[in-house]
Amino acid sequence: MNLIRLALRNIAGNSFRSFVVLLCALLISSMALTTGMILFGADNSLQLAMERLGADIIIVPEGAADRIESALLMGRPTQSWMSASVVERVAAAMDVQAVSPQLYLATLSNASCCTVSDMFLIAYDPKTDFVVTPWLEKTIGGELRLGEVVGGTDVFVPAGEEGIKLYGYAVALKAKMEPTGTGLDRSLFLTIETAREIARVSRTKAEKPLEIPQNSVSAVMVKVRPGCNPRAVALNISVHIKGVTPILSPDMFQSQRKELAGLRNGVVMTLMLTLVLSVLLIGLVFSMAANERRRELGVLRALGATRSFVFRVLLSEAGLLALYGGVAGAALTILAVVLFRKLIIATLGIPFLIPALPMLAGLILGGLACSLLTVMLAAMLPAYRISHEDPSLAMRE
Amino acid sequence: MKAIGIIFGMLALAIGVVPQFTNCSAQGHAIELPDGRTIPMKCHWTAMAAPAVAVPLLIVGGLMFFSRRRETLPALSLLGAVLGIFAILLPTYLIGVCASDEMLCNIEMKPTMIFSGAVTLGAGLAGLVLAGKTRSGRFTDAAESD
Repeated sequence: MNLIRLALRNIAGNSFRSFVVLLCALLISSMALTTGMILFGADNSLQLAMERLGADIIIVPEGAADRIESALLMGRPTQSWMSASVVERVAAAMDVQAVSPQLYLATLSNASCCTVSDMFLIAYDPKTDFVVTPWLEKTIGGELRLGEVVGGTDVFVPAGEEGIKLYGYAVALKAKMEPTGTGLDRSLFLTIETAREIARVSRTKAEKPLEIPQNSVSAVMVKVRPGCNPRAVALNISVHIKGVTPILSPDMFQSQRKELAGLRNGVVMTLMLTLVLSVLLIGLVFSMAANERRRELGVLRALGATRSFVFRVLLSEAGLLALYGGVAGAALTILAVVLFRKLIIATLGIPFLIPALPMLAGLILGGLACSLLTVMLAAMLPAYRISHEDPSLAMRE
Repeated sequence: MKAIGIIFGMLALAIGVVPQFTNCSAQGHAIELPDGRTIPMKCHWTAMAAPAVAVPLLIVGGLMFFSRRRETLPALSLLGAVLGIFAILLPTYLIGVCASDEMLCNIEMKPTMIFSGAVTLGAGLAGLVLAGKTRSGRFTDAAESD
């Protein structure tokens, strides 16, 4: 009988012990994988959202930075306005290459004139835009016309309808953007001309009209000249233009990054605690099993099995249990994280995207390695002790 | 096999109970008709149908836990797996849930039913394999100690 078959028979021979070790391995692999998936996914999501916004600096009304960041990240609509004259003043600032205004709007809540409740709408100016327009040229080969929109990956036209109804005005969904895992996936991008047309139509067709204040914008996207320092440009703007807050692209989503750092610390601490407790529990289980099986292993030694063979049998048992538990834990975790992604985002308040396949494969291997190492480490000492015991003594007791 | 019986029982509770509290009607939402009347949303009917899967699964779990006849275990495992498939199909194809991704039924009820159904299916298939091995005598010792 070879080593693995013997180990498998031993595993089947004591189902309770095997179940406890398997459960610990499952827990370790599951915790390690969940931690990795959420933390790497959240980092990736924030990075993609920053790239999607595509500006070096975003100018927002003073005091509205947190609300706008939250809207962009979690898709919670917000409205804040500043004078449209800010656009010209920012464009005239030193080292600014391009500026483009945006209007932040929202659909009504649970209204029959809107297909989607509380959807974040981002209206841009196609003449100056450098965020959506380049993407549109690559995707649909042109600009959006009146009544056309592009949406995040989660936006869809309801079955049986020709378009998405916004304030009683049906818009055509021309294309969908790549997923970012953030609120941008549930947002609509449209031109300012379309937004104004919706506002006009809404006066007669909507439960409540869409109000767009005249000569006002919600944000100004800024691109600085190549080689210039965006931080210096932002400082210059904040000094010379009152009532606005410039947010540097790398500084975007700072509060979410802080939350993520706090979450990382908490989760890593919990993982460490689980690892330590699992090592202790598995060590205890293996010690009890080794004591129970002293006579059996003594007979094995008396029949000619070497110390190293007995040691390897015990470690193989531990390794197989860790592998089974680890694989089951990884499968359950991936299923749970994929299915409950929205619930996790809502609970943690941090968006995250399921990592791409190569990264996911790496995380699964990491989780399996964690469970294998923990179980093997815990089984090492009892296995060594029993394999070095005198067979005559072991059989007599 | 007793462990699979326990797993079936726990999943049956999840499939039967969670949808009763996470469908949109339980949260006070309903579709309002032009004449002012309200009718329940799609997810309400899925929640109503969930016990039709959960109760048989609970019975299968109980039978697996208490059964001493090895011959019945493959059939019970298979039945459990089939019920798992139904738990997945109810919120996805057979009845479905609300269209909006942001509704509670999409965030909690549907994932819970799919997850529980998938684990039930996996446990049922594992039970089927283990029952087959037990009958062929490969893991006789394990079955006896179980």
